[in-house]
Formats: sequence, structure tokens, C-alpha cells
Amino acid sequence: MFDLGSGSVGAVNIMTSDNGGLSNDQIAEMAANKIMYISDEAPEPIRLQAEAFKDRVRNLVQYYVELARKEERATICARVREAGQIELANAIGRL
Amino acid sequence: MAIAQAMCTAFKQELMLGTHNFATNGNAFKLALFAEGGGGKSSTTATLGAATTALTTTGEVASSGTYATGGGALTKVAPTTSGTTALTDFADISFTTATITAMGALIYNDTNSNKAVCVLDFTSNKTSTSGTFTVQFPTADASNAIIRIA
Repeated sequence: MFDLGSGSVGAVNIMTSDNGGLSNDQIAEMAANKIMYISDEAPEPIRLQAEAFKDRVRNLVQYYVELARKEERATICARVREAGQIELANAIGRL
Repeated sequence: MAIAQAMCTAFKQELMLGTHNFATNGNAFKLALFAEGGGGKSSTTATLGAATTALTTTGEVASSGTYATGGGALTKVAPTTSGTTALTDFADISFTTATITAMGALIYNDTNSNKAVCVLDFTSNKTSTSGTFTVQFPTADASNAIIRIA
């Protein structure tokens, strides 16, 4: 007999936001989830070490997400200001 | 339970019939969002599970923002193997400026008569209000990938 074994469906993670896009925290969390997965069945000392490392990864990613958004806004501000839309540029700069 | 996570039974049969092609140049797959408890179009409630054979409009959430009924196109990651497990994956999908309440989703084959692949149960209502609704797929490995055959 040829037994295929089993077919399985993984668990997805849902991230939502209100009145705007996802926050830096949420994006950092998604990135950390993709970078490393920690099994619930891992021995506790290993799991704790892995969780500590994942926290560092999350914090690092969050810093660079914030930086990327800030730099992108700075570029947009400059382009809008060049186009003569000073008030709009200032509003974007205050975000 | 009205929405129960499962690999659809018909999909398993259709794999043996060569109906579904997950190669990057293969079939087109979509993800549609569904509501329970009257949150769907026309206050309908979805019933999805292993017995689902194809996309149904009953209980699907209404169009909002970049979400249009029928769902969003998934970007495939070519199937691979890990140990004795075959697996495939999709890129995360987001719907923006959307007001959505969804309890689950259906992945289906848009190329082949909207045949069902699998049902995803979010376990609770997830809501975005004029915001972003993102479905993040799990790590593509032998233990977690979205679709695995061991």
C-alpha cells in the first residue's frame, strides 16, 4: 500500500489597522515572524534564548522601518516643496 | 463551526488529477475573505471547511478599498521539499484603505473554475477600518508552510 501521509494547512497571521496603514511595530513583528519561527515544543532554555534573539531582531527591524519611513517622507517633502506646494510639504513633514 | 481550517478534500483528489499547478508560471490562485455572523455581503454567513469544493459568494465580505469581491491575486512561491515533506508558499497579501471584518479565507484556483484549495480560519473576527488588512503566511518550512504534504 502507498500511503501519502497527510496534507496540512499552516496558520496565517492577520494584521489590521484603522484609519491608515500598518504601524512600525506591526511591520517589525511581521518581519521577525518571517525571519525566525520558534517551536512551542522547543526545550525551554533554547526557546527562551530564541525568544530573546527574536526580540532583538524585532527591535532592529523596527528601528530601520522607522528610519526608512522618515527618509521616504523627507524625500517626498523635498519633491513637493520643489513643486511649490510649501504647505503640503510642511504637513507631510509633521507626520 | 461555520469556518473550519482545512485542506479541501476535493483539492486532494484534484492534485491526483493534475488540476492544480503551483509553479510560478502555473495557475493563478486567489484569496477571498469571509465573514461569520452576518458580516458578509447581504448579511450572509459563510460555511467553509473540508467539504468546500469551489469559491462561493455566500458570506464573502463586501468590496472595500483595494479588496474586490472574489478576493486578491496571490503571488506564488515555487513548490519545494524539506525532508520528506513537499510544500508551497505565497507572498503575504494586503488590502489597503479597506473596512473589513473577516473570520476566515478561502484560497482557490482562479484558472480552473475557482476550485477550492484550502480554508483558513482566523479563529476570531479580524477588523480593519479604513485601514490595511494583511494576511501573513507562515514560514515556508516542513512544519509550518501554508500547504504541506508529508
